[in-house]
Amino acid sequence: MTKIVAKAQGIKKSYKMSRRNIIHALQGVDLEVDEGDFSAIIGPSGCGKSTLMHILGLLDRPDEGHLEIDGENMSQLKEKKAYRMRAKKIGFIFQGFNLIPTLTAYENVLLAGKYGGQTMSERRERAKKLLDLLGLKDRISHKPNELSGGQQQRVAIARALMNDPILILADEPTGELDSKTSLEIMAILKKLNREQNKTFLIVTHNMDVANDCKKIIHMQDGKVVK
Amino acid sequence: MIEIFRNMWRRKFRTFLTIFGIVIGIFAFTVMGSMALKLNKMIDGGKKYITGQISIAPKGSGYETTGGTLPVDTINQISKIEGVQAVGAMVSLMVKEPNTDDSASFSMGPMPTIYGSDFKSAFKNRNWETMAMKDGVMLDQNSKDDEVSIGITVAADNNLKVGDNFNIRGRNFKVVGIVDKTMTGPDQYVFMNIKPARELLVESNPFMKSLYEQGSLNLEDVNSMAGVSWKDGVDSEVVAQRIKDQFGDKVSVMSPVKMGEMIDKASATMNSIILGSALLALIVGLFSIVNTMVMSVSERTKEIGIKKAIGASPLSIASEYTLEAGIIGLIGGAIGLGLGVGTASILNAQMASKGGEIFLLEPSFMVGVIVFSFVIGVIAGVIPAIRASKLKVVDAIREL
Repeated sequence: MTKIVAKAQGIKKSYKMSRRNIIHALQGVDLEVDEGDFSAIIGPSGCGKSTLMHILGLLDRPDEGHLEIDGENMSQLKEKKAYRMRAKKIGFIFQGFNLIPTLTAYENVLLAGKYGGQTMSERRERAKKLLDLLGLKDRISHKPNELSGGQQQRVAIARALMNDPILILADEPTGELDSKTSLEIMAILKKLNREQNKTFLIVTHNMDVANDCKKIIHMQDGKVVK
Repeated sequence: MIEIFRNMWRRKFRTFLTIFGIVIGIFAFTVMGSMALKLNKMIDGGKKYITGQISIAPKGSGYETTGGTLPVDTINQISKIEGVQAVGAMVSLMVKEPNTDDSASFSMGPMPTIYGSDFKSAFKNRNWETMAMKDGVMLDQNSKDDEVSIGITVAADNNLKVGDNFNIRGRNFKVVGIVDKTMTGPDQYVFMNIKPARELLVESNPFMKSLYEQGSLNLEDVNSMAGVSWKDGVDSEVVAQRIKDQFGDKVSVMSPVKMGEMIDKASATMNSIILGSALLALIVGLFSIVNTMVMSVSERTKEIGIKKAIGASPLSIASEYTLEAGIIGLIGGAIGLGLGVGTASILNAQMASKGGEIFLLEPSFMVGVIVFSFVIGVIAGVIPAIRASKLKVVDAIREL
């Protein structure tokens, strides 16, 4: 039986922008992510894709609904525990790469290992292995501003893999890359999914990226429509 | 740790200005603090001496100031008061006549002072019976009138060794001993027998000199003050009160307990003024760190968001910022301390030739200043660090 990595039922989330302006970002989302999934979430701007990703990634809490990650109930999770779950079970890949500018590629990857509770020797070994795997062996001591966009995103992928998460959430991972580099990055993600059975949930506007995924989840007006 | 230095280096000028703020604060704290330490040490030494005896001065004068003379008859009568063990007459005067035309002769510290004591008297200060000698001997009842024991600063300033001749106010004395460094008044003292000291005092005062030449002044009556020791088991305050009751119209009596209280009060006021002004400078520095760290947090909201997203705990975020503020404090503290110690040392070297060092640089104080500067930084970093650790990840992420 396939393991359920994340399960959302009736997830609702609103943002109060002012007294009269309340945005209902999610209006009852049901979603199940299985181990080994390689899914894309698509939909127009403001449909709630990013909000859903934040909730699945435990960066935000739902107002209503039930959320499970790796079989654990996360609906009422406090921030004090959320960071441990984020560190150990979830990997993030952001649109703007979002590496720490003062740290080298190697140190950026190491940092995730530190937060994940790995020992110094464990994280050194794993960070080198991951950067090697992603073809960045000769770039490990470069700072983000000394790397190309594609290289930075590969560092971000290595960072996301550092604690061997059960779910990797990617928010427009190719959004700031040219088409050739986008293909390279997607090829890496697909390879990780194929060879290591890594679970990916990719938020994208790009239909080429979505079509590259095994499953496409359509969202509209805060709901999953297809 | 490396990241902290890189973050500080990111905004070099701002970091420099913040550190500079702390440098000024710690510099002021070091200089003022070492001055307070020195003054306290001097006061402590003086207090120890003063509280070891009942001091008597001619009416109209204070401690160590000459306002008149204490006749030998009075001294003899006081020695007969119940509870009094002995009375020792003393004469004090400046080693050199102060030159009022030379502003450089103004001194913050004690001036070299002649201290003439009646070594034949049975009087002994209870707290200060003997002084440790660096070289030679302290004067005693067998010492000759042309012999002096001198404080270490007097020896250094006049380049004197045991056996050398020391010309004081036109009269030659032989140095028989150099007192070990006390960091207090005695470093500036010239101890001599009371007789030559009386002669020098009369010589220095035209009025007394004319009286003496006319035969109207008995040399034994020339005493600037006297110390009274009390018998064992007797309350010094009771003895002081008896002297006051019987000779209150002729002499000022300074009881050990009251003098001790007075000194404590004066030194507390002085310490508050000195340390208060330094703390004020330090508080300004502290706020400059708070300001810098608050700005750093808002500038680095995005990074805090990333770190939290990948699993940083609120504590690790808070400790990162607190440590950064602590290091700013520490660097500022180290530079400020260095400058303060340098300044104090230079001024000490200059003052040594003009009447004594005014700063006391104790290693424990310096270590304390360094620790204090780190703590100040940490305190300044706490509020910004808590703000950073409490940033909502999703709000920080939205800035991405």
